[in-house]
Amino acid sequence: MDTMFVSLAVILAGGVAALLLCRQFTLMKLVTIATTTAGCGVGLFYSLSNLLSHAAPIEMSWSWLHLFSLAFKVDSISLFFLVPIFTITPMALLYSFHYMGDKAKATRTAINYFFFTILVASMALVVTAANIITFALAWEIMSLSSFFLVIFDYQVKANRQAGYIYFIFAQGGAMFLFAAFALLYQHTGSFDFSTFSTIPENVKLLVFILAFLCFGSKAGIFPLHLAKIQSGPAAPSHIAAIMSAVMSKMGIYAIFRMYLLLDATTPFIGQIVLVTGIGTGVLGVVYALAKQDLKVLLAYSSVENIGIILIGLGIGMVGVSEQSQAMAFFGFAGAFMHVFNHSIFKSLLFMGAGAVSRKAKTTNIDQLGGLMKRMPITGRTFLAGSVAISGLPPFSGFIGEFLIYYGAFYGISNHRLPFILAILAIVSLAVIGGLAAACFTKVVGLGFLGEPRTENAAKATETGSSMTLIMVVLAIASLVIGILPEPFIRLAFAGINDVPYTVGFDTLAFMGIVRQVSQTVAIFIGLLLLITLLRKILYLKKEIGSGGTWGCGFTQPTVRMQYTGTSYAAEMIDFYRPFVPVKKIYTGISKIFPGKTTWETEVEDVAELNYQLRLIQPLLKFLNKLRWIQHGKIQLYIAYIVLAIIVLLLLL
Amino acid sequence: MESIFSFCFAILITPLLPALIKKVKACYAGQQGPPLLINYYTMAKLFKKGSVYSTSTTFVFRMGPVVGCATSLMMLLFFPMAGIAPLFSFHGDVLILFYLMGLGRFFTILAALDTASPFEGMGAAREAFFSTLAEATVFGILVLFFRITGSLSFAEFFSGSHPISLTGEHGALLILVIVALYIVMLTENSRVPVDDPATHLELTMIHEVMILDHSGPDLALIELGAWFKLLFYAGFLARIIDPFQLQNVWLNGLLFYAVVTFIYITIGTVESITARYKMNMVPKFILTPFILVFFATILTMELIK
Repeated sequence: MDTMFVSLAVILAGGVAALLLCRQFTLMKLVTIATTTAGCGVGLFYSLSNLLSHAAPIEMSWSWLHLFSLAFKVDSISLFFLVPIFTITPMALLYSFHYMGDKAKATRTAINYFFFTILVASMALVVTAANIITFALAWEIMSLSSFFLVIFDYQVKANRQAGYIYFIFAQGGAMFLFAAFALLYQHTGSFDFSTFSTIPENVKLLVFILAFLCFGSKAGIFPLHLAKIQSGPAAPSHIAAIMSAVMSKMGIYAIFRMYLLLDATTPFIGQIVLVTGIGTGVLGVVYALAKQDLKVLLAYSSVENIGIILIGLGIGMVGVSEQSQAMAFFGFAGAFMHVFNHSIFKSLLFMGAGAVSRKAKTTNIDQLGGLMKRMPITGRTFLAGSVAISGLPPFSGFIGEFLIYYGAFYGISNHRLPFILAILAIVSLAVIGGLAAACFTKVVGLGFLGEPRTENAAKATETGSSMTLIMVVLAIASLVIGILPEPFIRLAFAGINDVPYTVGFDTLAFMGIVRQVSQTVAIFIGLLLLITLLRKILYLKKEIGSGGTWGCGFTQPTVRMQYTGTSYAAEMIDFYRPFVPVKKIYTGISKIFPGKTTWETEVEDVAELNYQLRLIQPLLKFLNKLRWIQHGKIQLYIAYIVLAIIVLLLLL
Repeated sequence: MESIFSFCFAILITPLLPALIKKVKACYAGQQGPPLLINYYTMAKLFKKGSVYSTSTTFVFRMGPVVGCATSLMMLLFFPMAGIAPLFSFHGDVLILFYLMGLGRFFTILAALDTASPFEGMGAAREAFFSTLAEATVFGILVLFFRITGSLSFAEFFSGSHPISLTGEHGALLILVIVALYIVMLTENSRVPVDDPATHLELTMIHEVMILDHSGPDLALIELGAWFKLLFYAGFLARIIDPFQLQNVWLNGLLFYAVVTFIYITIGTVESITARYKMNMVPKFILTPFILVFFATILTMELIK
């Protein structure tokens, strides 16, 4: 445990060093990156070695402000979630070396690094916290530091607005969390996590739902995903990568931890999580398909993946209440595996999007094209990430989904509700997979392949070496996990070692299947190489011509005739219409000799629309009526405070 | 040994069967039709040719046919054709195989988009759309089969203690599955009434328009991949339809391939007597089998205790 605190201290020292060295731009970046990476290395060594040796949970606490105690507990679940934190952080930092290249923003970059290290440390504290005070403290530091990271480019109005929405969601979520904690404290009279399971059964469900709302908004469940959608595109890409790939997993961790701590017998919790996961997954990917901005699309795709992870957790929880150990085990393990895999390929994709936005000056797919030739490494790694995130073998995305499928198939039992839920989970996983493939063929096929649609896209060149290097490393990692999943699956299994419901589950038979999967992937790659060789032989000494694309007889093609992302997705979006409203703006033709007219379509978020219509507008209307309370007279404000205290003293 | 022989036989016979569809269609039209070995001639011709590549394309365009062909071949490696154990099999192979098929589709779509052609983009969008709908049905069928057999492998579906068989205890449910799988087969293999490979207009095609720019051996690989895929689906259907498990391997194989041939003939018949649906009708058509399978799965709740 001390090792972890040492690593956190080193990481924070890196952040402080950035502030001190902010006048020496390059030196500052080098020192910060080196120090923080070293800290993460120590932390990674600590978490991996303890995880793989199945170390017993360690507890630690010390008093704070004479009144509270800060308590920490490290068990296998904490250790597992520490792994992506300590793995992705150095990657994002190294990537930022070339990405944060604007010397004019040196001070701001230093501040960004400072908050970055605070975010990393606070995430590590979140997964190790063992009482209400520690957890709430770490959780709030995490929310606040990430808020400052989001508004890095604060001159842009859209970014400020995004930061604002992010802040509202973070604090609104925290309100639910405090409500949940207050309920718990009321029944237990203790801050300690271990007392949670003693509260009455009917309160447990309420506490879980309240906490689920808070943690869900951090993770990005539908319809609480707006903060994520806003912050992803606004933040710098390495920050977006960390937030999407690692920080949203803190929400998942917290949901799972809360579930374990409550130890409820009601089957509702599992069912809620599973159904939310299904809805989040399907709607997330449909919106990802509908959006044309690369970063927005990736943010929605994170929502989708959170959905997949929740499906896994839900399957596991239903398995627990159904007393099917196999279902519980594979559900949890699949969710953990996907947490790990997603952190790798999602940061890869966000980094690719960052490279594109730097070089092509836009992230709108309808204005890109032809980047595979101009940015060969970014393009190839992005392709790898796309295959991985679509859950297709031989890349890593498949492995987590395979485990979740496995758990879901074991859930096909005779009990009605679990049976229906398991079928729904399987079918929706299949649909999510298909739609994700459609979504990422759109990104790669229209953004990176074909001909450039704009001047800027045509002039794009490959990005700096630190950025491409990291993307290559992450792409190779995704491939290796896909081909040789065994050690990584063992890691996920080690992660759920301390989950009481799955203790003693025999994984020997399943490990055989994992080896078979990896053998199948090997056969496939062998076959692929064989056919490639055959193709090479067939093309030996053949005439290879080149010319324009066949335009079906049309002789004057232009790049604007290419299919666009909007048209590619149109039919599929139409199919999901009630959930995905499309706003069409058409100025129309009014005169006999028509002038210039415009046609615009925009996919609107159904959650955002409803918030506007049913929550924000009535709330504003109501609050406007209370405007008279706020008049700017300090003495009366003080009177309010005195009055409030008196009322509270009298009532409580 | 038997498995290797069965696999090789399946590969060798693959080009023959689609020619049968052409023959049937010609018969309905009152024509003589091409010779039955037409596809072997086409292959030989394509293999001899060189290729012309569009200047817009990248390596992805060249990868498309290779990945497509390899993924379809994987299906044949794992599927127990004619009741003979496949070369490879394990519990859970259906999941990875259908996902590999998704990988093949992924690269076919990318290769189409790589050409920067609006027609190919249109085909790609439809392919992506329709396949997501078909995927739901396929996994619905897997759920049902898992329910019946408790297995997740092609080989075990038909050989375990509760094999899938029309004469078995769940034979009635299988009728629904057969209809569903037949529609999925038509969808996934771009046949009428979902797609018309023989139409004269690129705008109305799906699969055929995606491969407009491929030529020579690349085109041959795509065609081979498509035939392997069709054979896999026909074989899957045939194993469900054919209720007999004879002791004699040869007789069994003969019966199996007779059913496969029959399925190919029905495809030809369907293509001759129906027209392609309007594009907005296709999703409804593809969702029908999902409802059938879902219904069959619900029925198992009472039938299987």
